[in-house]
Order: sequence, then C-alpha cells, then structure tokens
Amino acid sequence: MALIELCHLRSNVNIIPFQEVDELIPSVEQMNLSDSLRLALSATGQPIDFKQFSHTENGKKINFEFQHGTTTLGFVYQGGVVLAVDSRATGGSFIGSQYMKKIVEINDYMLGTLAGGAADCVYWDRVLSKQCRIYELRNRERISVAAASKLMANMIYSYKGMGLSMGMMLAGYDKRGPSLYYIDSEGTRIQGKVFSVGSGSVYAYGVLDSGYKWELTDEEAYELGRSSIMHATHRDAYSGGIIRVYHITADGWKHITNQDASELFYARKTKDL
Amino acid sequence: MLSTTKKLENTGFSFDNCLRNRFLEKNGFISPKGKKTGTTIAGVIFKDGVVLGSDTRATDDTIVADKNCEKIHYLNKNMYCCGAGTAADTFQVTSMVSSNLELHRLNSGRPVPVIVACRMLKQMLFRYQGYVGAALILGGVDNTGSHLYCIYPHGSSDRLPYTTMGSGSLAAMAVFESKWKPDLSENEAKELVKDAIAAGIFNDLGSGSNVDICVIRKDSVEYIRPYECLNEKGIKRGNYKYKKGSTALLQSHTIALHLEEEIIQTINDGSSMDTS
Amino acid sequence: MSILEYNGGAVVAMKGKNCVAIASDKRFGIQAQTLSVNFEKVFEISPHLYVGLPGLATDTQTVYQRLKFRQNLYELKEGRSMSPKAFCAMLANMLYEKRFGPYFVEPVVAALDKNNEPFIVAMDLLGCMTTPDDFVVNGTCSRQLYGMCEVLWEPNLEPDDLFETISQALVNACDRDAVSGWGAVVYIIEKDKVTIKHVKTRMD
Repeated sequence: MALIELCHLRSNVNIIPFQEVDELIPSVEQMNLSDSLRLALSATGQPIDFKQFSHTENGKKINFEFQHGTTTLGFVYQGGVVLAVDSRATGGSFIGSQYMKKIVEINDYMLGTLAGGAADCVYWDRVLSKQCRIYELRNRERISVAAASKLMANMIYSYKGMGLSMGMMLAGYDKRGPSLYYIDSEGTRIQGKVFSVGSGSVYAYGVLDSGYKWELTDEEAYELGRSSIMHATHRDAYSGGIIRVYHITADGWKHITNQDASELFYARKTKDL
Repeated sequence: MLSTTKKLENTGFSFDNCLRNRFLEKNGFISPKGKKTGTTIAGVIFKDGVVLGSDTRATDDTIVADKNCEKIHYLNKNMYCCGAGTAADTFQVTSMVSSNLELHRLNSGRPVPVIVACRMLKQMLFRYQGYVGAALILGGVDNTGSHLYCIYPHGSSDRLPYTTMGSGSLAAMAVFESKWKPDLSENEAKELVKDAIAAGIFNDLGSGSNVDICVIRKDSVEYIRPYECLNEKGIKRGNYKYKKGSTALLQSHTIALHLEEEIIQTINDGSSMDTS
Repeated sequence: MSILEYNGGAVVAMKGKNCVAIASDKRFGIQAQTLSVNFEKVFEISPHLYVGLPGLATDTQTVYQRLKFRQNLYELKEGRSMSPKAFCAMLANMLYEKRFGPYFVEPVVAALDKNNEPFIVAMDLLGCMTTPDDFVVNGTCSRQLYGMCEVLWEPNLEPDDLFETISQALVNACDRDAVSGWGAVVYIIEKDKVTIKHVKTRMD
C-alpha cells in the first residue's frame, strides 16, 4: 500500500486492501452494539467539531442546537432523597416539547436526572442501567450509588473533549443509606446533600437553600422541590412545562406528583394575595 | 432647540446606530436582514407601448411575508417601475425618484422622458455601490416612443425590447426567448408577460401568488391588479372559531371615545393651484 | 442568536368588522432570564391609532419616543391629528433613514381611519410596509403566529369574536416560544370605544 504511505494516511482511515474489508464492516457497523462503551469515531479519527459544520457553503447558518435549557434539583434529608425536574425541551428559542421526561429510572433504587444534550444523557443512562444490572447478576447484590456514579463518570470521562454535553444527578438508596451524586461531561463527580443543575439552577438554588434543612418532613420536602422548580420555570425561559417530583427511600423510588408549572404559579399567587 | 431643528433638516442616511450594531454583531448576535421581494418581474415593448408584469410574493427568509404585495411602482403618469431585491430599497428608491420626476415635470412643463428616470435611478444606485439592493425594470412611453430599461443594483443599465429580473428571471426569460417576436399586439404582449410571470411563480420558490400587469400606452395607463389569480386559497371546510369566553381574563377596562363634531369645509374658489 | 431574540416579544394585529385589534405579550427578558412581566410593546399614538414595536427593547423605547416627538411636532404645526397613513409613512421613513444601521424593531400598526375603516400595517426593520386585508404579525414567534392566524382568522369578525381569535392566536403561539409570553394584553379598537384586556397566559 504505497499509495497510503505516500498520502500520509493514518491506519484508522477506511482505505484498506479489499480482502480486509470484510473484517472491518462488522466492527464499524456494530461498534456500540457489541460494546456499548465504544462509539464510532469519524473517518478522520478525530471527533467531529460541529463548529466546522455550522454554516453551509453559502454562509447560511445550520442549526445544531442540541443543548436544551433545564432545571433539575435533588436533595438528601432525613426521609431519603427528593428529586424534582421541569419538562421543557427547546431547540433555540423554539419549544419542542413541554412533556419531556427528564428523570430516568435506572433500577428500582436509583434515579438519574438529565440536563444538557438529551441524546447524550439518555444514551449513557441506558448504558449505565445495563452496567448496573450486570453488576447485580455478577455480585448478587445491588450496586451502590457511589459505584454506579463512578462507572458513569469513568465512561463519560473517556470521551472528554469530544463534544459530549451532560450534567446529571444520580440519586439512590443503598446499604449505606440515601445518597446523591453530581456528574458532568467534564469529568466532575461529587457527592453532596443539595444539587441543582441546568440553566434554571441559579433560581432553584435561591429557593432551595432558603428552605432546606435536614429535618424536613416528607410533605415539606416535596413542596420545597416543587416550589424551587416552579420559581425557576418562571424566571428561566428555557425551563417549564410540568414539574415532576420523585422520592427515594429504603423501599426504592416512588413517583410523587406531576404538576403543571403555570397552574402552580397561579395557585400560589392567589394564595399570597 | 437649535440642535433639534438642525437635526431634522439633516437629509440622507443616518449612521448613528452603526457602531452599536457592529458591536452587537461582533458579540455573536446575528443582525436580521430586511424583507426581500424574491421576485419575478418582466417587461415587454409592444406596438403601442410597454407592458410590465410582476408576481406578488414577498419573503422573509423561508416565510411568505406578504401574499399580495405591490411590486409595480408608480414613477410618473407615463412610466412605471417594477422592483426586485430588498423590498424597502425598491419602495424607497422608486418613491424618491418619483417625487423628483414630478418636480422635473412641473418645472419643465412637459412629460418627462423615460431616459431621465433611468438616469436618476442609476445615478442614485451607483452612488451607494450596490448596498441599496434594488434591481429594477423601468418602462414608459414619452414623445420619443416606448422604452424599456433594466437597472441593476450597482447602477448599470440595459435598454432592451424585453427583459426579466429577480430570482425567477431565468424561468421568465425562457418564456420570452421562446415566444417573443417584434411588433406584438397589446393582447399578445399581455399574455406573453403573464406566461413569463407564471413561469416564475411556478418554478421559482421565491415568487408566487398572483400576476399583476401594467400597460403603458401613448396617453393612457392600465394597471391591472390582479391580472390573474394563479393560486386561489382553498376554502375552509370547517370552522375553527373559539366560543366567546374561551380566553381567561385577568383584567379588562374600556375607554369610551367621544367624537368631537367634525366639520368638513370644501373650498373651491376656482383659483386653486394647478397641480396637473 | 438573532438580536431580535435578545429580549423576546411578539405583536399581532387583525382586522374585524368595523373594528381592529392589536395584541402583544408582556415579557421583558435578557436572553434566558425573565426580568419583568409587565413590559408592554403596544403604544397609543392617538385614540384610534396604536403601534406595536417588538424587537430589541432599547430600540422599542427609542423608536417610540422619537415617534411621539415627531408626532407632537406634526400636530403643533398642522393643528390636526395624524392619519394612520401619514403616521406609517413617517415611521417607515424614520426606519429607512437608518438603512445601514437599523433599529432592531419590526413595527405593527393598527388603527381605524377617519371613515372608521380598519387599517393594519406591518413593517420590517428597514421600514418596508405590508398591508394585507386579514392580519399582520411580527416578533420572535412570528412563525407560530402565522400558523395560528392563518387557521383562526376569518372575515367580518365582530369585536367579541375578534378578541377570542387574536387572544388565542397569540397565547398559543407564545406557548411554543421560550422568549415570549408571560402575560398578554389585547386592544380592541372600535369607533366609540377602546377595550383593553389583560389575558391570562402561562407564566413559565
């Protein structure tokens, strides 16, 4: 293959002798089918820089807006963990959906929240779910939240700088009790009591921090999560729709309520007046 | 006060916002573009005058901003001008030149030659180096006969027996090239222009809706709008009207308006200014 | 992001039978952050003449103030009120003066003229007028509004029906736009009265 050498082409470029093609096809075509941790890279071996494709040859802008604004929050208190999220999905300023499900059920004792690129979050949560199940089968016990979050962080970290965009919380109940982790595509993984993620998180923190204490009752905790998200959806243009509240205890996760953010806003307003 | 009066007297374009707008653009905010006509316009000289034609669609990117806009502009009693390009530019350029032509006519006391309008338009466009984005077809009849000019945004012009402009110009020109012949009758010319515009309407996505036609003869003008409706809107079978009271209200109040008596006086002492 | 989306906002106007309506949302924000929910973009010019100025909020205010200034001078000089046609010509010329450094507003005008005929005009930011016989829309959710109006509007709507039509068009369009909404106000202009209604909308 003198030509390949002459052109300084690298070995992972798909120009290979004919007889080798058969071996290559299954591995490229089924890359993440056989191994869900392996994503296909582009033919140049480099991750695609979407900035290169942001304009057509005529200079017209192409919309590549995977990011969607979000408000998600979670906190640990005496009764377990509460997660609350909004449900708006946007592409630019266009509202694509008001009913998106931003909490993913990983298993009966663990939940994940999504923020950032929807496809990235959903895919890696699915992979995590599989990994957790395999762990359970191998070790005959449920995976701890600490271990699961580390699995997730490590998977994402191997793609750092290649364009993944996600900020997630992993919440669950294991033999050590309730716990909550924050993980993002930069490789961060931190355990904490109170987190909020997404474009509306600053507003949610405002309410959350002023109302949070360890001794909250269950009802108070749900209400705190709900009202934090409600105030965030009011101020943040990219958050809204319905507010979903989940609660995790030693018995596993439980879905508490789905409430319309705007209806809640008016209900509060008339109550205050 | 002095400064405000002086400011009002300033004429021409103002560049006050340019610095700010450039700053915004530098910070990644995309500056919106004005409405375009995205047009098919055409003109033909026939035996006794000129026929001008246009479609009636105005576009804003991929949106049809106006389904029945007017693209054949009045210049003077004996001449009209079709405009393609940035809609605001074609409108302003033709209306400014129209005013100057009227002054010229009142000063000279005779119908303005079409070439005068052509010169005024091209000098104005040349001055702005193509930044005023108007592509025009000027047609008219004067003492020296029928004239048809095609004026480009940068200020050049052609004098032609038949011509087309705008995004649908190729489709329209194809019709002219295959069917045009010298000394057309008025009806033949109208039909030919209609066919040319129709070709633009159906083959160019930037053009659409109806055909407008303007016939300029030695001493009369016939502006037919629409000449033909090629795209009738379908009739709504259902009724989507909301029942009264569907919309939730937070607050409502009414301002009663008391009309003062209106007196209309007509003054006619027979010596009114001659504006004809 | 377009400059017109920086603050967000939308305006729509519709013709009815012997009446005309103009409506706007009430949000004022800076990109994602909603700062105020009572920023109206529709202004009274004279009892039968209203103008809506969606776009960059700073220009909404500047253009309105300059319009009012010129209108006052006109009325002092001429001793009569401005006709809708004259007002639109003035506005269009004001915008076109800044052809190469425009104000980022897309005006909508709604009025009853001296014969009490409905009159609506929409302009682009360079001052190009469009005068259809049904409705005009402008602002960040203009695409959504075009769709709503195209299906809801019908000829000869009475004031009550016109109110429902324009409100539902605006409210439902804003529900699909992240940067407009947060309350809406509707003006129904009739020969002998103007009705101002604040409509309940989603607040998220």
